[in-house]
Amino acid sequence: MTAIESPRPASIPLLRVAAVTALVATGFFLPRLLGGTSVAYSTLTTIAIFAVMCYGADIVLSYLGEVSLGHTVFWAIGGYAAANLSAKYGLNGWVTAAATIALCLAAAAFLGAVTLRTREFVFSLVTYAAAVVAFEIAFNWDAVGGSDGIVGIPPLKLPMLVTNFSGAMQEDLWPVAFVLLLLTLAFIARFRRSRLGTTALMVQMNPALAASLGVDPRRIRLAVFVISAPITGLAGWLYAYQRAYVGPDMFESYFLVMMLTAIVLVGRRILLGPLIGTALLITQQNLLSLGGDWNKIVLGSVLALVLIFWPAGLVGLYRRIARTP
Amino acid sequence: MHRTKLALALLLGLASAPAMAQDIKVGTIFPLSGGAGPDGQTVTNAVKLMVQQINEKGGLLGRKLSVISKDDESTPAVGVSRANEMIAEKADVVIEGWNSPVTLAMQPILARGGILDITAVSKSDLILSGETNPYAIRINSSNGFDAEVIAKYVVQTMKAKKVAFLTQNDVYGNGFQTAIEAEFKKLNFSGQIVMTEKFAFKDTDFRVQLTNLNGTDADAIIVTNSSNSSGLPAMVDQYRQAGIKSTFVGAVGIMLSTVFKVAGEANNGVISADIFFPDLPPFTTQPESTSFVAAYTKAYGAAPDKSAALGAAAVQVWAQAVESTKSLDRKTVAEAIRGKSVKGTVFGDVQFLPNGQMQPRYVLFRVVDGKNAKLEALQ
Repeated sequence: MTAIESPRPASIPLLRVAAVTALVATGFFLPRLLGGTSVAYSTLTTIAIFAVMCYGADIVLSYLGEVSLGHTVFWAIGGYAAANLSAKYGLNGWVTAAATIALCLAAAAFLGAVTLRTREFVFSLVTYAAAVVAFEIAFNWDAVGGSDGIVGIPPLKLPMLVTNFSGAMQEDLWPVAFVLLLLTLAFIARFRRSRLGTTALMVQMNPALAASLGVDPRRIRLAVFVISAPITGLAGWLYAYQRAYVGPDMFESYFLVMMLTAIVLVGRRILLGPLIGTALLITQQNLLSLGGDWNKIVLGSVLALVLIFWPAGLVGLYRRIARTP
Repeated sequence: MHRTKLALALLLGLASAPAMAQDIKVGTIFPLSGGAGPDGQTVTNAVKLMVQQINEKGGLLGRKLSVISKDDESTPAVGVSRANEMIAEKADVVIEGWNSPVTLAMQPILARGGILDITAVSKSDLILSGETNPYAIRINSSNGFDAEVIAKYVVQTMKAKKVAFLTQNDVYGNGFQTAIEAEFKKLNFSGQIVMTEKFAFKDTDFRVQLTNLNGTDADAIIVTNSSNSSGLPAMVDQYRQAGIKSTFVGAVGIMLSTVFKVAGEANNGVISADIFFPDLPPFTTQPESTSFVAAYTKAYGAAPDKSAALGAAAVQVWAQAVESTKSLDRKTVAEAIRGKSVKGTVFGDVQFLPNGQMQPRYVLFRVVDGKNAKLEALQ
């Protein structure tokens, strides 16, 4: 270690902090930069919520290498918890969020334990079956809304020590969605470098090495699956307040396809990947829409093409092009 | 840069200044793709036809009307995006709703955006609860009214003593049965309900239920089945094959053209009710209805069904309220419709209840020639 070298490592984090701060600030004021209309606010809020939804499934896909087709269950748990507790019992946002996290953890622990021994295709199938069962319950059980769903969800209330935040308008929900997205990103960034994250990757990439190090792959799988659930759940929680209506449509393949496509589109294990993927998909649907049937064909084709030709996503494609002389 | 922008803005301002009166925007949000696509297109076509007719007569408040039509893909999340777009495009009224969940999801968005929202088809009772939209308006009939007309027919006209139910096991089917039972109580029904059989929306094999029902010797079997293109025609066929003598009484609005196309003659003798027919009285004698049927048939090559009539009526009701109040304001226009009567719609003169529900007038019918969808009006 010479004295000349020592300032360099210090300056890089500083630069990084500055860059991240600038990015966060730009992100926060993005709706205003885009004109500050209610459509700008609602579209960006939707992108933030859907991105958080994707990050839950992303952890499982990127770090366990498994395709969960059951994350709509956690998405719906968040929505139904927020809707039922706020509309019927008048509970505030903190309580409904806490309930969402608790219920998601419980549901994921159960589903994770059941699927512990399954891999790949069977894992996907079992998680999908769980989503179908949960849908049938939500659809037929009038106490939680039945096939009509729940209307009359009040605006999001988050009483804080000094102020009483209330998200009555789309514009008011944006900061909440933005903070939720930031927290999720921070959590994912930490997870990637955490012991659990790196071990999970090792279990996926090199099971023999993991086994020789005495890692119990089942414990790792269960842990990753369980922590992924509340992320998607909290997205559903906020979505309930944004839409003010929750119904069994939360189980629809629309959300599932959105999750999977947004994750694989940009590339797995890229921090901002699902966010950029979601933004691209929502923008296509809202601004460059080709009509219902065509949108579905586009979405399905993109998913298929990416998986067949560029399993590493757009980033992988870019790397390949950059590498070709 | 700044100056160019300013110049551009001025130019645009000047260009639009002489026109001054911008078009009044009538928005429609229905499924235009997927399974319900053809149905949504029918309603949208009827709206376009009505708007065109109004424009030919000089428009509204001295302004022309234009239609912005959007596809909700039968998906609530997509409907929400489309509703937000309507707000951005400053629609003056939005006529929407084929599926109840999509309507329920769009309702709060349109209400927050201050846009007048007329539900054409979606039937859920929650739509008029007033919780999310205090100015809700709906053209299609509700489950409650539907149950009343069917219950009255079974109890008073048929004088049935033994009644059975074949009920779709969801909110729609169970809700309808509950409403019928409540009506029975009101009518002091002296007979008995001998059996209730249930099935799921996606079912196409009803032989077990039908065999059970065959043993009851009921006078009438009241059927709810909203799977118009697969489940219901199969049910009608199997009902005949089982040789059941009881009268098949279908819930309101289930006997659509697909049922006749698939099940043909097996439909003969089925009794049901609906609120619009292009070829049954009173619609064959009301000039407003006959002129609509003629214009629609000329424009689209087929007679309008009930959903087309609902779309057309939505435009007529709104246009009359705008004309009479000289306003496009959501509250003003809605208050001129809710609880008021409207003359000369494709349904004839109609009355709205204070909660925004158009009071339906039913025609009970018996199928006489299922192959050609020929009906005979009862009463």
